[in-house]
Amino acid sequence: MRDRKARLFLGIFIVAALAVVALCQEAAAQSSPLAALRQPPASGLVGWLLSKQAVFYRELSGLIRAAKSDGTALWGLMGISFVYGIFHAAGPGHGKAVISSYLVANEETWRRGVTLSFASALLQAITAVLIVGIAAVLIGATAKAMGDTVRVIETVSYALIVLVGARLFWLKGRGFIRTLRSLQSEPAPAAAVHTHDSHPGHAHHDHNACCHHDRAHHDHEPHGQSAPSAADAHGHEHGKRHSHDHVHDHDDEESVLPWRHAHGPEPEELAGPGGWRRGLSAIVAVGLRPCSGAIIVLVFALAQGLFWAGVASTFVMGIGTAITVATIATLAVGAKAVARRFAATRAGYGMLVLRGVEVGAAVLVTAFGVLLLTGTIASERMGMF
Amino acid sequence: MFSRIVFLIAGLSCLIATMSHACAHPHVWVTMTSELLYAPDGSLTGVRHAWTFDDMFSAFATQGLEQKTKGQFTREELAPLAKVNVESLQEYAYFTYVKVNGKRQKDALSDPVDYYLEYDPKETVLTLHFTLPFKTPVKAKTLDVEVYDPDFFIDFGFAEKDQVRLVNSPAQCSVSVAKPRDDFFSAAVRLDKSMAWEANAGLGANFANRISVNCR
Repeated sequence: MRDRKARLFLGIFIVAALAVVALCQEAAAQSSPLAALRQPPASGLVGWLLSKQAVFYRELSGLIRAAKSDGTALWGLMGISFVYGIFHAAGPGHGKAVISSYLVANEETWRRGVTLSFASALLQAITAVLIVGIAAVLIGATAKAMGDTVRVIETVSYALIVLVGARLFWLKGRGFIRTLRSLQSEPAPAAAVHTHDSHPGHAHHDHNACCHHDRAHHDHEPHGQSAPSAADAHGHEHGKRHSHDHVHDHDDEESVLPWRHAHGPEPEELAGPGGWRRGLSAIVAVGLRPCSGAIIVLVFALAQGLFWAGVASTFVMGIGTAITVATIATLAVGAKAVARRFAATRAGYGMLVLRGVEVGAAVLVTAFGVLLLTGTIASERMGMF
Repeated sequence: MFSRIVFLIAGLSCLIATMSHACAHPHVWVTMTSELLYAPDGSLTGVRHAWTFDDMFSAFATQGLEQKTKGQFTREELAPLAKVNVESLQEYAYFTYVKVNGKRQKDALSDPVDYYLEYDPKETVLTLHFTLPFKTPVKAKTLDVEVYDPDFFIDFGFAEKDQVRLVNSPAQCSVSVAKPRDDFFSAAVRLDKSMAWEANAGLGANFANRISVNCR
């Protein structure tokens, strides 16, 4: 039952993601949002949505102004903030690429992807509110000072992404080499992998997937799936669990499989210390950097004497952002699951390819960090400061 | 299995789409008017821009600035901000790209002169005025000036009225303005940009606002 629900959610996410991406590409190919603003909207539903997309941001200012005298405008403000957050996050930044690559490099579930997305989006909102709250409200700093602050935070955030990527690369690179070596010495592990693979629900199965497929090298890398930030204590805990699972499998694989595969990871597994901390470094690396749009909205709200409305808008925007990021992260995890299935049908070499994909994803995370750090790719820009 | 393959392809294309600039979103909107300044000998000496920022960005930019009268900013009070603005704009080549007789001119413009910010208390918007002098005055049959942000974080658009003016131009020169929404224009620009423009030309190039001067 849980599994069916999970699939339903997955389906909804995919549809939403495709809609967002299709709309954005359409928008990019056809016109600037401003043109959409100034020109009569294109015909049809897509045209209407297209022209709306840019209007959302512009409407924020009008609604914040209106909220000064009319309390009901706040509802509109929240609604627009939410929708704007969804569309807005489809643009560069907001950690989609980093989170997705991170999830692919690690054996992660889509639920974890959703958790990471929401946590990082929440942190982004908090950073934005803190920056404007401290700099503008308390100190009365200028826009330039805030821009400089954001730049410092940005640099730290990008450096963290490089570190997260480098650590992943180190872990996954070793895993790859180990798989390669074990493949050369004994091409045995294929059979067990095969059995597993035929079982539904496997794709969502973080821990088990990890242990089965990593059989070739599981004992060398007990927390290969853990985030770089995983505290040692938790690493041990996981290590134990894994080795336990592993023994279990070997003892009587057939009888154990059905029930074990029927259930996904428990929520407390995700939210518990081991769960949160495993992804903490990724959350911080991505979420530290505030969204420029949120900062501008906050300062504008402050100028209107409605700072708290800006704060509420920022958090609602964050929820919208999280939905988009989570959707893309889910797709990345899904793609990995498909790759894993293919890998399983190709016996040992498939596993090698899968390990290779993980190394590739780790390289991607590092590359993103380096490119962002060196300014080769721009995440976002605070106007002209 | 088929559905899974579709799933995989959809996932990957989404990743690629979002990693590119395909969905870049501006946070700053600029409504502009421009003047092309000519010397008595008929050569083009500079471009004078007036860029009006949207109200949210204007509020952001003026945050924390000292003001004598609440809700108003004098030119003097805004002077330090104007300086920061033009200095920062240097990094982006003032978002102004020049083509002489169809050939892209790199480094044709020198640093801005006569720059100042104006605040409109009614609309609560800032307008940045500045002039970009040509390093060497240009005499050409055709000349294009394009204004856009290659990264599309700033959305430039011409004002509805008095978009472009030629100042002291020779009688045989005429000006035309192309906005990104003009179908022919955007198609031509896309083709042109993908072939010839520098590597930094991103999405924004599709939204270039082009001033074309023809002197027969």
